[in-house]
Amino acid sequence: MEYPKQVTTIQAAAILISTVIGVGVLPLPLFAVRSANTGAPLVTLLAVLLSSSGLWIVTKLGMRFPHQAFTQYSEIILGKWPGRIGSAIVILFFAVLSSLAAREFGEVVITSVLKKTPLEVTVILMLLLATLAARNDMTTFTYINHLYLPIILGPAILIVALSLKNANADFLLPVWGNEPREILNGVLIIAALLQGSFIQTIVIPAMRKPQNAMKACFWGMFIVGFLYITIVIAAVGVFGPEETKQLLWPTLELAKTTTLPGNILERLDAAFLAIWVTAVFTTIFSSYYLTIHLASRLFGLRDHRMLSLFVVPFLFAMAMTPQSILQMYQVIEIVGKFGLLITIVYPLLLLLVASVRKKRGMQDGG
Amino acid sequence: MGGKVRLLILFKGIVLLLICWSLSGCWDRQEIEERAVILGIGIDQAEPDAEKKELPLAHKRGQLHIPSGKMIRLTVQVAVPGRIPLGPGMGGGESSSGGNKTVWVVSGVGHTIDDAINGLQQRIAPPLFFGHLRVIVVSENVAKNGLVNLNDFFRRNPEIRRMSWMFISKGKAMDIMKASPQLERVPTIYLMTTMDQSVKMGRFPNDILGLFWSATSAKGKEGYLPYCELDGQNNIKIRGLAYFRSDKLVGTTDGVDITLFMGIMGMNPSGGQAYVQVPGKSEYLEYSGRSRKALTKVDIQDGKPHVRVKIMIEGNIREKSDETVKLNHDVIQLMERQLEKDAVKMYQDFIQRTQEKGADIFGFGEHIRSRQWRYWDANVKTKEQWQKMYPDLKVDIQVQVQIRRVGMKAV
Amino acid sequence: MSFWQWMKYRPTPSSQPKKGNRPQQIIPDRYMEQHSEELLTGSLDEARHFIQTVLGDNDDLITREFVIFGQFKAVLIYFINMIDQEVTNNDILKPLMIAPPHYVAGTIELQQLKHVLLYETLYHSMSKMENKLAAIVDVILRGQPVIVVEGLDEAIIVGAAKIDKRAIDQPLTEQVIRGPREGFIEQLGTNITLLRYRLPTSDFTVRSKKVGRVTKSRVAICYLKGIANDALVQEVESRIAAIDIDGVLDVGYLEQFIEDNHLSPFPQIQNTERPDKAVANLLEGRVIILVDGSPFALIAPSVFTQFYQTTEDYSERFLMVSFIRLARLLALVFSLVTPSLYVAVISFNPELIPTKFAVAVAGGRAGVPFPSVVEVLLMEMSMEVLREATLRLPQQVGGALSIVGVLVIGQAAVAAGFVSPITVVVIALTTIGSFATPAYNAALALRLLRFPLVFFAGMFGLFGVMVGLILIVNHVLSLKSFGVPYMSPVVPGNYEGMKDTVIRGPLWWMRRRPAMFHTPNRERIDEGVVDTLKQTPHNTLDPLKVGNARWEQPDGISKASDNDSSGSNSH
Repeated sequence: MEYPKQVTTIQAAAILISTVIGVGVLPLPLFAVRSANTGAPLVTLLAVLLSSSGLWIVTKLGMRFPHQAFTQYSEIILGKWPGRIGSAIVILFFAVLSSLAAREFGEVVITSVLKKTPLEVTVILMLLLATLAARNDMTTFTYINHLYLPIILGPAILIVALSLKNANADFLLPVWGNEPREILNGVLIIAALLQGSFIQTIVIPAMRKPQNAMKACFWGMFIVGFLYITIVIAAVGVFGPEETKQLLWPTLELAKTTTLPGNILERLDAAFLAIWVTAVFTTIFSSYYLTIHLASRLFGLRDHRMLSLFVVPFLFAMAMTPQSILQMYQVIEIVGKFGLLITIVYPLLLLLVASVRKKRGMQDGG
Repeated sequence: MGGKVRLLILFKGIVLLLICWSLSGCWDRQEIEERAVILGIGIDQAEPDAEKKELPLAHKRGQLHIPSGKMIRLTVQVAVPGRIPLGPGMGGGESSSGGNKTVWVVSGVGHTIDDAINGLQQRIAPPLFFGHLRVIVVSENVAKNGLVNLNDFFRRNPEIRRMSWMFISKGKAMDIMKASPQLERVPTIYLMTTMDQSVKMGRFPNDILGLFWSATSAKGKEGYLPYCELDGQNNIKIRGLAYFRSDKLVGTTDGVDITLFMGIMGMNPSGGQAYVQVPGKSEYLEYSGRSRKALTKVDIQDGKPHVRVKIMIEGNIREKSDETVKLNHDVIQLMERQLEKDAVKMYQDFIQRTQEKGADIFGFGEHIRSRQWRYWDANVKTKEQWQKMYPDLKVDIQVQVQIRRVGMKAV
Repeated sequence: MSFWQWMKYRPTPSSQPKKGNRPQQIIPDRYMEQHSEELLTGSLDEARHFIQTVLGDNDDLITREFVIFGQFKAVLIYFINMIDQEVTNNDILKPLMIAPPHYVAGTIELQQLKHVLLYETLYHSMSKMENKLAAIVDVILRGQPVIVVEGLDEAIIVGAAKIDKRAIDQPLTEQVIRGPREGFIEQLGTNITLLRYRLPTSDFTVRSKKVGRVTKSRVAICYLKGIANDALVQEVESRIAAIDIDGVLDVGYLEQFIEDNHLSPFPQIQNTERPDKAVANLLEGRVIILVDGSPFALIAPSVFTQFYQTTEDYSERFLMVSFIRLARLLALVFSLVTPSLYVAVISFNPELIPTKFAVAVAGGRAGVPFPSVVEVLLMEMSMEVLREATLRLPQQVGGALSIVGVLVIGQAAVAAGFVSPITVVVIALTTIGSFATPAYNAALALRLLRFPLVFFAGMFGLFGVMVGLILIVNHVLSLKSFGVPYMSPVVPGNYEGMKDTVIRGPLWWMRRRPAMFHTPNRERIDEGVVDTLKQTPHNTLDPLKVGNARWEQPDGISKASDNDSSGSNSH
């Protein structure tokens, strides 16, 4: 069998959660507030719904072809070459995504903690970490995402819970914001932060029961959405929409404002950032793994290990392309919005064509 | 196969090289004892001839178009490692003796905060470290001209904590930095403890730097800070509130107003006391609130916002001036009504004063923005507009006082 | 052809008999291999010659000539220190010299002799016949006396070997407060006895193998049929069969050959000195490997959670044990990360610790000549040296040395301003933490790994510590022990298995064997047992129930007239 069929439903949800929650959480409240000031939680909710629908399409598609990889069934649906071009674009996009995540986190670390360390070192460290881990097989990939899940969720929930008591309801009203002009833009930007959910395309074929994929996606997306919205609520509720606009990484600032009861740690920002390395690692690791995995399928390689070594220099070069942190965020916004075409519109197209052409993969007996 | 192995070896070699490279550089390692741990900063207006004395570092002399009258003098309190011993109880009174000071107070001038800090760094060998900055004192004179650059610098620097306290000082901030209270080895920690304890006792609203910033940037709200003063040589006392309009200090209040402010905001725990005269007698009772609750309602009447605040206070009698009046339920009820009458007057007077300066420290504007958003979106929109409208805001105060207990004495 | 084989078969001068005046050099092992198929002919001299050729250089080889029943010439051959003299004298030589009473001396036929000797004369239970010369030599080497009789084409082997062994003792490396005090010893036979004594079941199976070309160590693979997975047993056997080494002196030799990842610092096979622990693991469906000469047993497959568990955990109350296990896990984590966290906080993020303390720490460190990384590494290294020194020294000196090392040097180093007092505290915490781990080799792995972590911390602060930890955890997650994921049952999650990880559930709650070993028989506790536990117990001695009846049966044990102060108002 091509894939070892062993990913359980809970693990599939865990992969989804730890992939989606990453460095994007740090500027998330800023993006949300910029588009609709006090309506930030609403914008986040809409974005979660949008990307959930995208994920629904991807999952539907995956369940239609429960034994094939994304590259294989896109070839079946669209024909050999159009399918290959589509897959190539997807692979390229996720390569860019993982390099940008590494860069973004590198910038966060350089700005807030390691002020004198060269950016290259932190970026390369994150990329190498992902590369070394990506040499493992699907089983270890699953285990890694599974084990890190509580480490990712724990601190985020802790900080939200500790800071919510300082929140001010006035800062969250009216729920649709005062004169929200750019809600659509905000929804797109935040939905772009959730694009890691595309990882389901490689998880579904490895699932023990692919028919449960929808359940895994629902729970994964529910938890991610819940966390995103509570983080936005906490940040906006504590700082207020106007103050949030002044902060580059409001979530990090939230950690700075929080003290653990009992004064064990006086401020949590550095500790939070350190633990957040795991979240960022799983994100980069997942999108990197997705890239490598799909690419090795596309080129018909049996072993993806070698490929993972080849890709690093290119990823590094891509990560170092933006000239400043502000340009980097511009690039992230543009790439993200463009990515929505790839992660939502393209699968929708595939699904439509597949149902029109009545293409369907082998189904499980059970 | 051979190619693969060679590639793997190449990769391993590169990784090894990278590791060596990163091992050779501990870029950010800076031992705690090699840092000049700054505990407090005082910001004053510089003397008129300061520009001549400064060492221009980031600019050529005269390049920055900031008049020398607006230059600032920055005073920092640096912890001196070694003077503060590890562990408890190794000598109490040594902080006061001159040669054994636990902190070192240095000051320098500059056009902006960072300019001044650069100047200071020229004189202090170890790198300045702001991670433990707990207290920022700004003198009244500086605050009156605005805190723009100050807020900018402190927001931008990742080491600054949002949990610090910022003070406005009557008189020079430098003097406060130099003061050394007796209770604590490190003066700024004493100041910080004072504030933390005040918040716990309900004698001062929780107003850490982060909350001040939030209030300052919110559209329908203004910031306020504790207003402090040097009391004698070595002691510092909280005088009242210093309130802002945008980032400019517009007024200061007395200590009583802190309680009033907390009353209007309905903050708990409530620590304030009030004297009330028994009607028709010369006797005074002292009343102390235990808990309060304030309900703020905004509605639009005749196209204008109208704020109604209902304040409910529960408390005890703590003191009686002499024995002419015996306490009983009727007297208590009488006192409650009297207290209510007094309180409404005081609250309204306080709001009046802030309205005169156009400083809505209560956040009534935020109430309008969040609850009456149609009116806000149509008529107010910006912070500047609200500052103009605030003086004309109609605020109704309703107070309900309850006296629950009278202490251990029966009458 | 491997190097060893070449060494064995290379042409040596001795293997080619040369006609010369130099005495012929014979390598016994080689000689035996050449003559491995040679049989006893019945000629005593030939047999003696063969044995003399192979073992003749040994001065402790005794060849005792005697006459059986005054009729047949025979020799008793043995190594002098390896046999039980008393048994040999009384049970072998004595009956052999005196003919059984119902035979008339001197009238026994040669054809009868074999029967008479084996079935009527020798008192020893372990006697058998052997006709291969090489095998006879082998047996002599293992310490058993051999009787060769003129005219018989088979020699008699009597199991009268007596190799001195130490008594069954308390296992020193795995002390428990509550539990059996027996530990394995070096003798394989005794060890198997210890296991059999606890497992009087026909399911308990011991498979034997010989490993080691020179030492020919006997390896026993023990498992429970029907509980251990057959595929696992086969895999263990085939991995052991693949080993070709000259000597196996300890079970650790085997461990290194049969583990999955040979480069990992983490032990993938557990070892134990305790028979009760071995039996507990057999009951879970694992395989136990014993080697003659080693007082340790290997437990395969092993997972990470085992390394902070002890046998005692299952005899104590589950709440306390869960708490203690939490403490052990904490100690494990302490021993890994404390020094690196200390370095990261002190030299990268001092803003994390409370201001008052930070100022004080800065004071404590003022005047220390080294950065905290160097300081910590230095102290850690000297701690390792100290630990190793106390380990190797005789016990009487060891105690004194540790006091000198820890108290005097530590205190003096602080007083001299060489290290800061906080560093000493941190190092002490780490060292104690690493000793709280029950499994010595797992603690060793974590102790080793904390050095790279300190390096990372010195480079990148907390960020570096986290990167290091991620590397370690990723490695651990990729490990497998005989296919069982190393972190199971935590990852991949298994509800049944999680009842015995950090928490130790009540025994009646863990009704099934861990799923990760895929045992054919998973039922551990019958469901009926749990139901019985849920019923209210018969409180037979409850003073309130004196004379009561429950379900028409008398419930209280005593009569109503008994005077029990605690329940009735008899006072």
